[in-house]
This record gives sequence, structure tokens and C-alpha cells, in this order.
Amino acid sequence: MSIFTPTNQIRLTNVAVVRMKKGGKRFEIACYKNKVISWRSGAEKDLDEVLQTSSVFNNVSKGQVAKKDDLSKAFGTDDLTEICKQILAKGELQVSDKERQSQLETSYRDIATIVAEKCVNPETKRPYTVNLIERAMKDIHYSVKPNKSTKQQALEVIRQLKDSMEIQRAHMRLRLVLPAKDGKRLKEKLKPLIKVMESEDFDDQLEMVCLVDPGCYREMDELIRCETKGKGSLEVLSLKDVEEGDERLE
Amino acid sequence: MGHTTLDKIKALQKNPANIRNLCILAHVDHGKTTLADCLVASNGIISSRLAGKLRYLDSREDEQIRGITMKSSAISLHYASEEKDYLINLIDSPGHVDFSSEVSTAVRLCDGAIIMVDAVEGVCPQTQAVLRQAWLENIRPVLVINKMDRLIMELKFTSQEAYTHLQKILEQVNAVTGSLFTSKVLEERADKEKEKDKEKEKEKEDIDPMGCSGSEQVYDWSAGLEDSDDSQLYFSPDQGNVVFASATDGWGFSIQQFANIYSQKMGIRGEVLRKTLWGDFYLHAKAKKIMKGAHTKGKKPLFVQLVLDNIWSLYDAVVTRRDQDKVEKMMLSLGVKVMARDSRHSDPKVLLSAICGQWLPVSQAVLSMVCEKLPSPLDMTSERIEKLMSVGARRFDSLPTQTQELKTAFMQCSCEDTAPVIVFVSKMITVDAKSLPQNKQRPLTQEEITQRRELARQRHAERQATSQQTGNEEGNAHAGSTAPAVLSQMQALTVAAKPEDEGKQIFVAFARVYSGVVRRGQRVFVLGPKYNPAQGLQGSTSMTGSLPPVPHLACCTLDSLYLLMGRELEDLEEVPPGNVLGIGGLEECVLKSATLSTSPALPPFIPLNFEATPIVRVAIEPKHPSEMPKLVRGMRLLNQADPCAEVLIQETGEHVLVTAGEVHLQRCLDDLRERFAKIKISVSKPIIPFRETVVKPPKVDMVNEDLGKQQKVAVIHQVKESDTLHLDPSGLVTLTTPNRQATVGVRAVPLPEEVPLLLEGSADLIRTLEQAGQAQRDGRFLDMSPRTHDALLGLKSKLEGLLQGRKWRNAVDRIWAFGPRRHGPNILLNSVEGYQRPSVWHCLERDKGEKDGDNAIRDFDNSIVSGFQLATLSGPMCEEPLMGVCFSVERWEMNFPIQRTHLDSVGDEDSNSHDAPASSSESPQRRHEDIGAGVVDCYGPFSGQLIAAVKEACRHAFQAKPQRLMAAMYTCEIMATAEVLGRVYGVLGKREGRVLQEEMKEGTDMFIIKAVLPVAESFGFADEIRKRTSGLASPQLVFSHWEVIGSDPFWVPTTEEEYLHFGEKADSANQALKYMNAVRRRKGLYVEEKIVEHGEKQRTLGKNK
Repeated sequence: MSIFTPTNQIRLTNVAVVRMKKGGKRFEIACYKNKVISWRSGAEKDLDEVLQTSSVFNNVSKGQVAKKDDLSKAFGTDDLTEICKQILAKGELQVSDKERQSQLETSYRDIATIVAEKCVNPETKRPYTVNLIERAMKDIHYSVKPNKSTKQQALEVIRQLKDSMEIQRAHMRLRLVLPAKDGKRLKEKLKPLIKVMESEDFDDQLEMVCLVDPGCYREMDELIRCETKGKGSLEVLSLKDVEEGDERLE
Repeated sequence: MGHTTLDKIKALQKNPANIRNLCILAHVDHGKTTLADCLVASNGIISSRLAGKLRYLDSREDEQIRGITMKSSAISLHYASEEKDYLINLIDSPGHVDFSSEVSTAVRLCDGAIIMVDAVEGVCPQTQAVLRQAWLENIRPVLVINKMDRLIMELKFTSQEAYTHLQKILEQVNAVTGSLFTSKVLEERADKEKEKDKEKEKEKEDIDPMGCSGSEQVYDWSAGLEDSDDSQLYFSPDQGNVVFASATDGWGFSIQQFANIYSQKMGIRGEVLRKTLWGDFYLHAKAKKIMKGAHTKGKKPLFVQLVLDNIWSLYDAVVTRRDQDKVEKMMLSLGVKVMARDSRHSDPKVLLSAICGQWLPVSQAVLSMVCEKLPSPLDMTSERIEKLMSVGARRFDSLPTQTQELKTAFMQCSCEDTAPVIVFVSKMITVDAKSLPQNKQRPLTQEEITQRRELARQRHAERQATSQQTGNEEGNAHAGSTAPAVLSQMQALTVAAKPEDEGKQIFVAFARVYSGVVRRGQRVFVLGPKYNPAQGLQGSTSMTGSLPPVPHLACCTLDSLYLLMGRELEDLEEVPPGNVLGIGGLEECVLKSATLSTSPALPPFIPLNFEATPIVRVAIEPKHPSEMPKLVRGMRLLNQADPCAEVLIQETGEHVLVTAGEVHLQRCLDDLRERFAKIKISVSKPIIPFRETVVKPPKVDMVNEDLGKQQKVAVIHQVKESDTLHLDPSGLVTLTTPNRQATVGVRAVPLPEEVPLLLEGSADLIRTLEQAGQAQRDGRFLDMSPRTHDALLGLKSKLEGLLQGRKWRNAVDRIWAFGPRRHGPNILLNSVEGYQRPSVWHCLERDKGEKDGDNAIRDFDNSIVSGFQLATLSGPMCEEPLMGVCFSVERWEMNFPIQRTHLDSVGDEDSNSHDAPASSSESPQRRHEDIGAGVVDCYGPFSGQLIAAVKEACRHAFQAKPQRLMAAMYTCEIMATAEVLGRVYGVLGKREGRVLQEEMKEGTDMFIIKAVLPVAESFGFADEIRKRTSGLASPQLVFSHWEVIGSDPFWVPTTEEEYLHFGEKADSANQALKYMNAVRRRKGLYVEEKIVEHGEKQRTLGKNK
């Protein structure tokens, strides 16, 4: 048992601890802050840049080094580097400040990009730029939730942005072909889902080209398939109805 | 001179012979506005004491702050010479390169120009530019050599030195004019070789606007130069077209003035003096004779002795030595009286300008020269008119006869009612609504005051009367008495209503009348730039009728006419020909410039000739997203108000503003913020587009070592295999859908370089092809015109020509689709063995396509195409579209469950639907896994799975090949003189540009350099090149093509040589990686970068320490 006195104590600062429980024992390694995520994503390839020391601890803050027996029992090897790599890959870790910050920033950007991709200015039918969306998100004080997917959050953002600015999901252009006998009945059902009817052609079968909100696509698909028993068809003409080409303001 | 009244100016406007329309042109900071100040002061509009400091015509706030003029503005001045009264319509123009468009608008309206040159700096780049502009517009220039005081006070020249210096400057200016002249003669000679003798007569006139030389014909170029009389072109003091001046000190003179003075004093004939005062002449004191050859004999030239010495001694006495006695003596001899206040002033400059202002007033010298030497509107040369009227390549002769007749209207400039009205609007200026004369508070005249007093008295009397009346008889009298009260109330209301539109911007057209009298409320035609008079004459057009159906012709009313007085506008009822004026109420029908006329026979004037094209691009956004509509409206207004700015909305949704330069950009932004949009805006670099592509594996590595065979593995390091994904070393990727029912194998192949170009160029064709194919699949026929049909066949054969070799055998016939968006520059190829499907060209063969092959698999055909479209829309590198990639589908297997199980399991779904496999796929097979889920597969609908699988397969196949980024490239043409050539190359090299060719422009000392430059590097390029070459080179950027960036963004050093050359990290050289990471970061994608470079070098202290 080593004796702790202030003189022989080595203070480990700048530590991020990665823990793993295996074989009923707790194992910890001491890493540098802000480095573990980089290691996991593959950006950092030098192990020495990640580990403060290659020894494995039972408790880093107390400085208790793990026993060799426990290690070989739990990991089946006594190669410390190998064990460290395993712990790094699978252990639980504290996310450090900069890591968290960059994560949030990235997902903030990602959300803004998704919103910008999906939405248009309803007046001009042109997309907004990512920068503008980011600023608008800041204006409505949107905060990123790290445990929700960016796509989910983007849809949430669109809903919130609608209050403060002119924004709208870009419509999908669909072509529906319905058998004549179901046409009338089905059209009534589809009506609330359709935003703009572009053309309608009723001869031996009902053919419609329309703009819908992309959120209703599944619903429509389901409806048509069930109601017509597979005779009707639904075709996506364009995923996004936006203006193309540059326009000179005059 | 007293203040000139409006009535006087109105009277003067009626006599075109005494009108001079002129503009002041010069390099930046050569004193244009100061001179204009002096001229304005001569009319008593501003105090002569303030002339040069006030800068009256710089009415914008930022103009005053920055001290440069940013817009051209006009003022009408009155000048009385001995016998005649003249009206001078003076236009001050900016000198900065960025605003050369403003110069163009000014020059078009004028008949003459004052070219100013700094006596110290001499001819500068913009001096050359404005001389060229004046030349191109065929207006006659006169020269003012300004800042003579600097020669005395700053450079401390002796009068003799100053003389030689002035001679040099004159030579420089004349050299520029001479080179313009020669290049024109040479140009004409080239023209002449094509056209024949018939033209020669006319050309003779062109060469010689004065019509001096005879009818002798020109045969070869040497004769052309010699015969054409160019003596009138050059500036020479003895011709009377040069004035020496110091606008800040308020003096200026021409040779004539001194000749007059001395001819009285010395008894030499004025004629003789005028000829000899400038040049190599000296005064032989004993013989009292003027002799030639001052230079060789070492004598003082006459100019030095009689003119410069006097000025030098004045400066010496007043400023340098401040000798009170001598000054007084001089003042006496000059006959000048100075107020005691000035002579006692501590600053000698005040005294100086007081003396000079009386002795040699600059306005006198300049204006008399202008009146004598510059043409009046009546003297407009016929060739200038023809040039104005012949738009584009059309010759004047080819215009309809009625149009040609209009030429006489120009020449006569008649103000009869019958004469057709011809007006040219060169730009739209914005004016605060409150500064318009209608809305302005003006001092009341005596009569008005008495009138109002009378009215008030009456009203008072009435009120008293009514109050008395109401006392005794209330009934019917009441109605009558309230009427005036209501009236006065209404008056009060109208007054109150006016301030509401305060701060609103009103557009006033900056225009000139060429013929006929313009009246307020007149209806005129607005001729668009593409208007063809022949069309207008055919249709019977009437002014009163509704809009005639002639293209580019509109009709409008001139709501109000203004006299432009610098910052102020004065209302006018009518404007006779030859005058510059402002027209209100045109903002609806005139965008930037226009031709107005009462005659539909008039062709529109040739477009303004801009020296600078807009090149600085920025993206603009409102600070608050909800203010977008305001921004758009503001940008529209800006576009109308600025002759040179361009605004556009890009496909990405960016609002882009294109301006001529950085200073111009600043002005436009200020205007947007404070006048047009009135919102906060933010400015950023425009988004730069990229494309992604694959290339053939390189043969050499980064240090030019041969790679051999070993490197294939390194390329594929990106793709990780899993149980559903299999990668074959040749680059074939096979992927199985999550429910294991379909397997696709895709390989990515780079297309030959020309193919994407061809496909991009014929996007419209492919779109029609796609539509036709779509229609055919539905069993309909889309009627295709024979021409498009032929064009499509042509496209097909061209593609076949480009896709040759073993690898591409039959490739064109196997094309499945194009992408992204179904008409892009990527190809999906059907190489599945045993799968027959009609190619995209199928609809070209008119026979009915019967659906053969196995139907089950055909139903998912669309999913494959959709997957391909998605994959090409955003590539794996940085989610930018792909370009020039061919995905060839080599395997496609489906293992469906048998139909029977399907019937058992999903009883409610009808089995006879042709869509059966789709619904069937949703269930059985995997039923043992998701028990009870029944109908729905846990992986979603099968078509969706297939789309995702194809997309992923394409992406992986793409990654299995060496990937490259493609950058958009500008071609840029740079005109530069020989001296700055090296610096141009420097800037180009720094920004990764590449020079394609360099050649000398014939007849000038300019080089034309053609280069390509990545769009990503172009931000600030124009400005940098201008700065580095002191404005002598001006680039023009035009988008040209996409170019593959040579370096691999995923490259890491592998060989020893590479480690040696680039180091372990090798992050210095990789341009592609830089671009890619920038885009990924912008889009919020993952960037492979360490958050912290060195773990142990972070701040190591705990929070409390």
C-alpha cells in the first residue's frame, strides 16, 4: 500500500477518464481532454496523444492501478496498450467542453442545412440560405438537443420558424393515377392533403398532378394503396418544387 | 455677379445657339469638384470664399466624408461674355475607377468636356480612360491644367522649370489623343478593306470631324494618317483650348487673356501675341521684336517672361515673403482692390485668392474658353447622330427612311411644336421626396403674403359675422357659413398629409432633350433598347390609344420637369431642345436608361458605353429574416438607381449584388441600408459551388514517382465492408437490401472529359427526351417536333462518337438514365446480364414499345433510377452534385418469395394487382423475425429500401475510385500595360490562376491576357489586381467551365519521398482538401479534424487555480 503524502503525489490535471466495467470490476484509463472523441472518429491516430499514461487504473482520481490478474481475467490479455484501446473504444466517457461545443455546433449547422434544403420562401419559391436559417434559429432561441436526431429537430425548427418568417416546406410534385370508379370518392379524401392541383384529367382514369407537403406523402401513399387495392398509382415527379436558374432583379 | 434667377435661365434655355452642355472629366482628385465649385460661385449660388471647400455638387453625406465624388450631378449656370449671354449646363463627374459608369452617363448628355490634369501628377490612368470615353462619344474636349500652385509651393519650381514641365504634360495628353486617333484610323482601314470605295467618302468625314481636308480619297494607311488632319484634335494653348489654373486659389488664365493684356501694354498686335505666347519664342528687348528659338539661344520664352514670372512673383510676395509693401504695389498695378479684412487675414492664402479672384478669375477663363471652343447643341456633328442612332451592327443607311429623316431634327434642334421630341435618359437618380420643389417650403413673395393676409382677414370677418348671425338667425345661414370653414379644414388636412411621404425616394430621370419642346404632362413613347423602328412604323401607333402591341415600346406621361441645380430641383413647365433636365414620374417605365420620343420612327440610342463592368460579387442577407421582402424591394430600387450595379437571385436563394469595385460596393450598401431598404443587412462571400467526380487512377504519385501496381489498395481504404456490402478490388460494389431480397452491383467509371460538357449543354433536350419517355411508359405519345427529334438523334450520335473503345461498347444504347434531376451530366448504365429494358432513346423509335422481360423486376426499375438520382444529387465528399460519372449496374438480383405464401399471409390485399410484388415484398420471408408485424416489414416499404440500397451502392462505388473535386472556373480577360504585366502575373499566380494566352492589342501598348481562375479564389481578385497595378489593369470575369482539381482530397503521403517532401501530415499542399473541408464545415457535416491538436498542451490547471 503506497502512502499518499503531498510530496510524492503526482497530480494528474487535464484528465478525461474513460470507464469500463468488465468481469465485475471497474477499469479506468486517464486520457487527455478533448481527445477521446477524435480517437473514436478516427481523426486522431496517435495513441500517445490520447492517453496520459498507458497504465490501467481501478480509480484514476485515487491513483489505484488495476491489478494484473484482474486485467488478464477480464480482457484475456495483459498487453496494456491493447486493453487501453478496448477501453477507449467501448468505455463510457465524460464528454469534454470543446468536444461538446463542436458537437453542438455541428448539429446546429446540420439542422440549419436540412431546413434550408427542405424549405422555400413561399413568395419567391426559392430556398433560403443556410446562414439566414442559422440566424433565424438564433432569433427564436432554438437550442439543440444532443440526444435527438438532427432531422427530427429540423422538422421541429421548421414549425417554429413559421411564426417568425415566411417559410414553408418545399412541395413535392406528385402524379396520381386512379381508376375511374374510385376516382370521385378518393379525390374527396385526398383533397385535404393536396396543396395545389396543377392539372386534372378524367377520361378512362383519373390523372392528377399536384403539389403536396412532403409530410403527407406516406399518408397519401397508404390511402391510395388501400383504397384502390393497388390499382391506383402514385409517382413522384419532383421531390422539391423550387425555381431553377438565376433571376435578375429588375 | 449676382444670383441668376430662374426666369433668366428659362429665357436662356430657349436659345440653343448659346447653350453649352459640358462635363468635367479627370482622374480622381485632380480637382473636378473644386473647379465646379468655382464656376458655381461665379453665379452667386455659393460664396466665392467657400469655393473649393464646400464641394457644392457632392451632395451625399459619404461623398463629403470620403472627399470623393460618387455620382454625376448637373447644374445650370449663366455666363455673360461681352456680347452674349450663355447658359452652361455643367455636369460634374466622379474620377474614381469604380464610378466610371457615372462618367458614361454624363458624357452621353454633353457636347463638350473639360478634361482636367493635375500639373504635378500629369496624365493618370483615369485621364486616359476619360479621354477615351470622350473620344468614343464623339464629344469635343478642352484641357484645364489644374493645381499650378503646387508647382510653385510644393515643388518650388522656377518659372522656367515649370514651363518645361507644362510642355511635357501637354505632350503626354496629346500622345493619348494621338494614339486614340491612330487606332481609330487603323480600325477604319481594316473596316475599309472589307467594305468598298463607296464608304470612303463618309469615312473621310469620320477621320476629320472638322471637315477641313478635301475630298481626297485615302488608299493606304500611311496616307490615311498623313492626310487626315488631326491638328484640331490636339491641345495647344495657342489654339485657345488650354487653360492653366489653380482652382483652390481661384485663378486661371488662357493665352488669350494675357495676349489681350500685353497687346495693350506693349503695343504688339494681339494676333501675333496669341500665336507666340506659347512656344519657342522670346522677346528681343532691343529690337522690340519677337524672335524664334528661345531654347537654343538660352533666352526666356515669352510665356515664362510675360506670364509665369508675374504669377511667381505674386506668390513670392504674398505667400512666401509676405511683403506688405510689394503686395500693395502689385495690387495697384493690377488694378485690384482687396477688402481690408482679407489683407489683414493671418492666412496668406486668403489674400492670395482675393487678389487672384479679381485679377484672373478661373471661372472667367474656363467659361469663356468653353463658350468659344465647345460646340452648341446646334453644331452636333451628323456622324455623332448617326452613331447614336445605329444600334448594334446596323448601319445608319439601313434604317427606315422616316428614321433617317429624324436626323435633320437633331441637326436643327428646333423648338417648334411640330418638331418631334427626342429625349435620352441616361440614368435615374433618387431624390428625397421632401426635397422636390412641390413639397418644399419656399419663402413667400410679397404678393402672396398680402393675398394670404387678405384671406385671413376675410375669414376672420366671416367668422365674426357668422357668430353674430348665429345669435339671431340660426337656420339657413348656418349651411352657407360653414362651407369656408370646411374648406379651410380641408386645406389644413392636405398640408398635414404631405409630410407622410417624407423620407420616400422619388426617381428623377437624368436626361437631355435633343429635339422638340418637352412639356409637362406630355405623352411620349419609351423606346426599349431592343425596339425596332421598322416594327413601330408598321403598326399604327397613336399616343392616346392603349399600349400599342409593338415589342419594346411603351407609352408614358411626363409628370413633372425639373431644372437640375446641383442639390436642388426647380420646377419647369417646358424645356426647349438642347438642355439637360430632370423628369419625374418615369420610374414605372424606365429601368436605367431609355430613349423617349413622340415619334415611333426613332431608333433607341446605342447603349451607354461602360468602361468598367461589374465584377465584385457579394451575397446580401437581411439581419432579420422576416425583412426579406424589404431587401428585395430595396435591391430593385438600387438596381434602377445605379447605372452599373447588378442584382440577382441565385438558384441557391442567395441575393447577389455585383458592383464595379470595392468603393462602389460600399456606396451601394450604404444606399441599401439608408435609402432603399432601410434595414440592417449583412454581407458575405457568395457560396461557391463545387462538383464531385472520379478519375482514372493516377500513374505517378505526388513527387512524380511512378506508382506501379501497388496503390490500388490505398484508394479503396475508405470503404468498410460489412455483411451486406461487398467490395471487389476492381471497384465493383455489391450491396444487399436490409431484408436480403435484392442485391445490386454497381461500378463507377469516369466519363471522358467531353461527355459531361455535351450533356450539360443539351440539358433541355434531355429533359424533353425524358418527358417523351415518361409519356410512352404510360402508353401515350408525346408529340415531338421533327427538329427536336433530329436534335436528339444528333446528340445520340455525338455521344456515340465520344464513347468509343472496348469499355464503352454499345454503351449509348444501354443508357438507363441521366442524373441528377434526370438531365444532368452523369449516366446510369444498364450492364445487367439478361436484363432487357428499353434505353432512354427508346421513344425515338416510334414503334410501340411492348413490355417484355420479367415484369416483376421491371416494376422496381424506377427505384433504381431514383436511387441513382439521389446519389448523383449529392456526392459523398461534400454533398455537392456529381459530374461526369458513369454508374454501371452490373448485377441485380431479386429473390422473391413465391406468390403463394403471399396469398396466405396477406389475405386482405388483392393478389391480382399488377403491383403485387411490391406488397408481397413487404411481408413473408422475414416473418420469422418480426412475428405479428404481418403486413409491414421492419425496414419500411421495399421500394424505399431498394432506393436506399442503390444510393448507397453508388456512393460506395464512387468512393472506391480515386475521387476528385471539380471547381468552377472563371475565364478572365485582363487588359494591362506592359509595365504592370509582371504584377498581374503575380496576383494570378497567388490565386491559383493560369494564363492561357497573352497578346498585344494592335495599335496600343496594351496587352490582353487570357487566364482561368477558380471561382473560389475570385473574391477580392478584381480589387487586388487593381490595387497592385494602380488601376492600370482591369479584369473581367465570366464563368466558363468546371475543372478537375488535380490533388486528391484524401491523399496521405505513403512513400518515403512523399514523407520527405510533404512531411507526415502533408496538409500544406492539398488545395482540394481545403475546399472540401470548407464546404463540409459550412454544411455542418463531419470534418475529419482533431478538436485539439496536442493533448498535453492544453491549459492544464484546474478550474480553481
